[in-house]
Amino acid sequence: MTMPLDTLADVTDEALLILYANGDGAAARSLTLRLTPRVLAYAARMLGDRAEAEDIAQEAMLRLWRIAAEWRQGEAKVSTWLYRVAANLCTDRLRRRRGVALDDAPEPEDGAPSVLQGMVEADRMRALDAALASLPERQRQAVVLRHIEGMSNPDIAEIMEIGVEAVESLTARGKRALAAALSGKRAALGYEDV
Amino acid sequence: MNDLDDLFALARAEEPSPALLAQVLADAEAVQAKPAPRRSHWRFLRVLLAGAGAFGGMATAALAGVWIGMAEPAPVAAVTEAFLPGTVDLLPTYDFLAEE
Repeated sequence: MTMPLDTLADVTDEALLILYANGDGAAARSLTLRLTPRVLAYAARMLGDRAEAEDIAQEAMLRLWRIAAEWRQGEAKVSTWLYRVAANLCTDRLRRRRGVALDDAPEPEDGAPSVLQGMVEADRMRALDAALASLPERQRQAVVLRHIEGMSNPDIAEIMEIGVEAVESLTARGKRALAAALSGKRAALGYEDV
Repeated sequence: MNDLDDLFALARAEEPSPALLAQVLADAEAVQAKPAPRRSHWRFLRVLLAGAGAFGGMATAALAGVWIGMAEPAPVAAVTEAFLPGTVDLLPTYDFLAEE
């Protein structure tokens, strides 16, 4: 399916949501193109599983469509609300997963030499996911929101319902732990050639 | 660690599949096609009057107005008499409300 470009690029998320609630089809397309990649990237890093992340992204977006008619203007940012929904859905998944055998979790392929750049990138993403998975959930959440989603600390504080200082502490500790977890894999990931 | 920033950039570049975008848009259109839930009139009135406090105050004032109109206590009766001498009692059957 081909998607038209986002022609409402200058319109805020909230204005688009109001337009959507009033039956505007272009607003639905703009919001889909604008928000689905963000919520998908977040869920993919939190869960380390693309298929599950797509489920979460679809469900979070569905909840956004449903709330549109009752959206209270000026109370919360649309993106913040959406990330909070996605965060809760991810937490539920992770909690359910903990009940399942841990052996089922995908293991990163260690040290497999890859010739094609695409394979190198896939290996790197697997390594990142494995390293993220080794972090405590709140640290992982803060690191993903800060460094992959590019959100500000006050926005992250709102999503995670904690103070800004706590966010700073979580991201700093998380990034250090991530760097430590990946440091042994630099050669395997092809970083020594760079 | 610059490698870490490189990995973050790689993660940011990940795109949703066309199938997922199509599904999300189909959900949007399906929800849009349903009639919006009706908002309750009470909720609308409360929002209009900026909160339950104002609403309660207005309700009390309205009830007090009705009571004063019906009972017409002496001070009010004096004012009414001054402005409208010889006023006709339109609701004589409610005089009992003024009795002590």
